Amino acid sequence: MENLIEIKNLHANINGREILKGIDLVVKPGEVHAIMGPNGSGKSTLSAVLAGKEHYEVTEGTVTFMGQNLLEMSPEERSWAGLFLGFQYPIEIPGVTNVNFMKTAVNEHRKQKGLAPLTAAEYLKLMREKLAIVEMDPAFSSRGVNVGFSGGEKKRNEIFQMAMLDPKLAILDETDSGLDVDALRIVATGVNKLKKADNATIVITHYQRLLDYIVPDIVHVLYKGKIIKTAGKELALEVETRGYDWLIKGE
Amino acid sequence: MENNYIYIPDKSQEFRCRVPLKDTRQVFVVDGKGEQMGLSLGKGEILPDMLQVIQVRSAHAAEDLSYSTDYVLGEGAQAKVLLCSHTLSMEDFVTRENVNVKLAQGAILDMVVMQNEHNKSKHSTSFKVELEAGAVLNLNVITLHGGEISNDIEVALNGKGGECYVNGLYLADGNQRVSTNVNIRHNVPECHSSQLFKGILDGDSVTRFSGRIYVAKDAQKTEAYQANNNLLASRTAKAYTQPHLEIYADDVKCSHGATVGSLNADELFYMRSRGIAKDEAKLLQQQAFAYAVLEKVANGSLRERLHSLVESRLRGEFSECSNCSKHCC
Repeated sequence: MENLIEIKNLHANINGREILKGIDLVVKPGEVHAIMGPNGSGKSTLSAVLAGKEHYEVTEGTVTFMGQNLLEMSPEERSWAGLFLGFQYPIEIPGVTNVNFMKTAVNEHRKQKGLAPLTAAEYLKLMREKLAIVEMDPAFSSRGVNVGFSGGEKKRNEIFQMAMLDPKLAILDETDSGLDVDALRIVATGVNKLKKADNATIVITHYQRLLDYIVPDIVHVLYKGKIIKTAGKELALEVETRGYDWLIKGE
Repeated sequence: MENNYIYIPDKSQEFRCRVPLKDTRQVFVVDGKGEQMGLSLGKGEILPDMLQVIQVRSAHAAEDLSYSTDYVLGEGAQAKVLLCSHTLSMEDFVTRENVNVKLAQGAILDMVVMQNEHNKSKHSTSFKVELEAGAVLNLNVITLHGGEISNDIEVALNGKGGECYVNGLYLADGNQRVSTNVNIRHNVPECHSSQLFKGILDGDSVTRFSGRIYVAKDAQKTEAYQANNNLLASRTAKAYTQPHLEIYADDVKCSHGATVGSLNADELFYMRSRGIAKDEAKLLQQQAFAYAVLEKVANGSLRERLHSLVESRLRGEFSECSNCSKHCC
């Protein structure tokens, strides 16, 4: 099957400091990948570069997303093409309601596909359906985007947005951080429900515990800007018991 | 529901005004002359409908114009007023307007001012307000468009328990100038005042805000708050802001805050990462910024109309018009 995303020898800087030092990664439809690694290994930089965040400078390498050169696309174009980033720290936007925010996003996606905007009733129906996936109260929709949300609610909101936009590739950056067990279960169940044969997920995480719920096909360990080990799901368990030291030393 | 307003189709058409809001009575003031200028209510009188005063400048009288209107409310009287000002043609109009408001004991006035004039017009309005004991003023000044707009607002709290809430939103782009001077005078104890003024500036526009809270020596238990926040959407726009507190009493609660900032980059990226195009994301941010002021407008249908007017203004739809054709009121 054709690759969803193909990252070749990706190098990236922020403020002149090299963080990514040659990443190679291929994700195919239907796969779940996990990227693990100690603090400062470049996990969040990788997700920021893929989503097109400003101030990250790609100095070498290529990223092909569904046959297109991802690095030439604006953040919104990446979203329209089917890329989704679940933020580690979702942004609060006071004054913009959740419903206004998501309705605008969904209708921009539809516009790109040449579809008419959803009517208020159609939107409401879709929204309720997707809110149920993450067990969120519809009352939240009239609140400001992430304003006054608990850590768990923010992460559920990320998965709700993912459900609304139906991406081909979702990159979930530390979606498990700051979650209690119940919220973790809800978020993971939501992600699993959204899994299809033609989409894929990259889960970026520190800990094995999320991977008990979202079972990866392939696990990568990122260290100092490079993938130093790639294996099956058993690698996550090994990292959980043995830490990263044995991998780093072997590098 | 019965439509409780007087609708003058020929006039509305001439001025390209929309169907009035529900429970509204429209009156027209053309080049400073009108069938009804101001308002006078006796003791206990309550105006049943919102009075919408549509003030227009026309080519028939293009010379500089000054005029005054008085709003006098007797004891316990209540009124809701919407003051709109427009230009109907492209002359370089200069308008000086005095709005004198006197609220007797326990009177309540809710006034919304909507200014939408063309790029070369100069309009300065001086609001002078006096409140007796227990009177309440809600004043919301929404400056949508205009060449040089200036609003001077002076409120004297002359009786115990008076309350005044003065808010404003100014939107400026191109070479537009908007200046706001607020002077709230707490002359007696136990009065309450608050000000929230917000500005969104684009292009080479310049705005000035100066807000004073004066608390007299024996005006104890005063509560007075002031905030002015400005959002710069371009690198060349300039917002000046000056808060002044002049407090001679020692048992008061007063605060002020002034900010000038630009669009939040993290918010922009978050919205774009969800597929909201850059311009649309900026628009959402600006609408969000304006939101708090518009929410101060008590009349729900007027508030909704203002939200949509602000949106089309921020989309740049006003500047395409040579004069008032936006059907704003």
